[in-house]
Amino acid sequence: MNDKPHKDPQIIAHAQAILQGLSEYCASLNFATILTEDGFEVASLGHDGESRNRMAAMASSMQALGEAVTRDLKKGGCEYIIVAAPQGYMIQLRVPGQLLVMAACFDAGETLGKALSVSKLAAAQMAAPLLPMAV
Amino acid sequence: MAEHIILFAGPMGAGKTTAIKSLSEINVISTEAANTERETADKDTTTVALDYGEITLGEDDKIRLYGVPGQKRFDFMWQLLKERAMGLVLLLNSDAQNPVERLREFLLEFGSLHARGGIVVGITRTDVTAGPDLWEYSKCISETMPDCLIPVFTVDARSGDHMRTCLLSLVLNIESRGLVTSRKEQAA
Repeated sequence: MNDKPHKDPQIIAHAQAILQGLSEYCASLNFATILTEDGFEVASLGHDGESRNRMAAMASSMQALGEAVTRDLKKGGCEYIIVAAPQGYMIQLRVPGQLLVMAACFDAGETLGKALSVSKLAAAQMAAPLLPMAV
Repeated sequence: MAEHIILFAGPMGAGKTTAIKSLSEINVISTEAANTERETADKDTTTVALDYGEITLGEDDKIRLYGVPGQKRFDFMWQLLKERAMGLVLLLNSDAQNPVERLREFLLEFGSLHARGGIVVGITRTDVTAGPDLWEYSKCISETMPDCLIPVFTVDARSGDHMRTCLLSLVLNIESRGLVTSRKEQAA
């Protein structure tokens, strides 16, 4: 994979297609982003440019904090992070084998199980055509 | 035992994580991610949330050390951690592009910590690139924050001794200010 995936047109196009597919499958999705682990947006769905950049940076911090917590607790790797709020929740997880993270925000009406399941599927689909990286 | 929360800020590559690792008595909690901005700082990883370490100075002072990410896109972490801090160690790498201007930017962002406790500036990587003279940094400080006493040190972030000197001067400043304030309150 390119060492700057957020500037690689092929990776960006692939990420956009994955997020589009996720939104078509799950109408409760109101924002989603795929980002480099150091907080650069690769592709997003929903929100404007400034907000997308900010969400990518925040998701990067959250991922690293989640992983720091599980590392400190000696619980193994962090599989996913869920942030729940009265009006919805956010799920984020690593794209398997890549230095990329996916974050998706759903309405409160969505079941957590479905949201988690489609998020994991989308992350796996994102990884599929990319060469494995040393994560 | 007095507790102080000290923030370490400065641009990416200034040595904040290294400085906290040099100082901390506990295993440092770090949040490193693969760095895709090699043109800004040629290193494998970068801090994306925070670093955390602890050190005890003397018998009485426990210092909690928080490092923030250097990149502006993580400024939400700056705000979160700034609210809790009593003082700031501002590190600038002399091989950065225009380090004096970077100093000005970080002083404008974190300058409020001077009123809360104090600020010290540490210039790193002078062994790699000499960079501007120390008086240029001092001039920038006096222009940006007039009437504020902010010492400038040349430091090696890898050296526990250097960083302890830097930290001690900040803690002494914070404590002496605390004494002055309490005496003023008693006199009033």
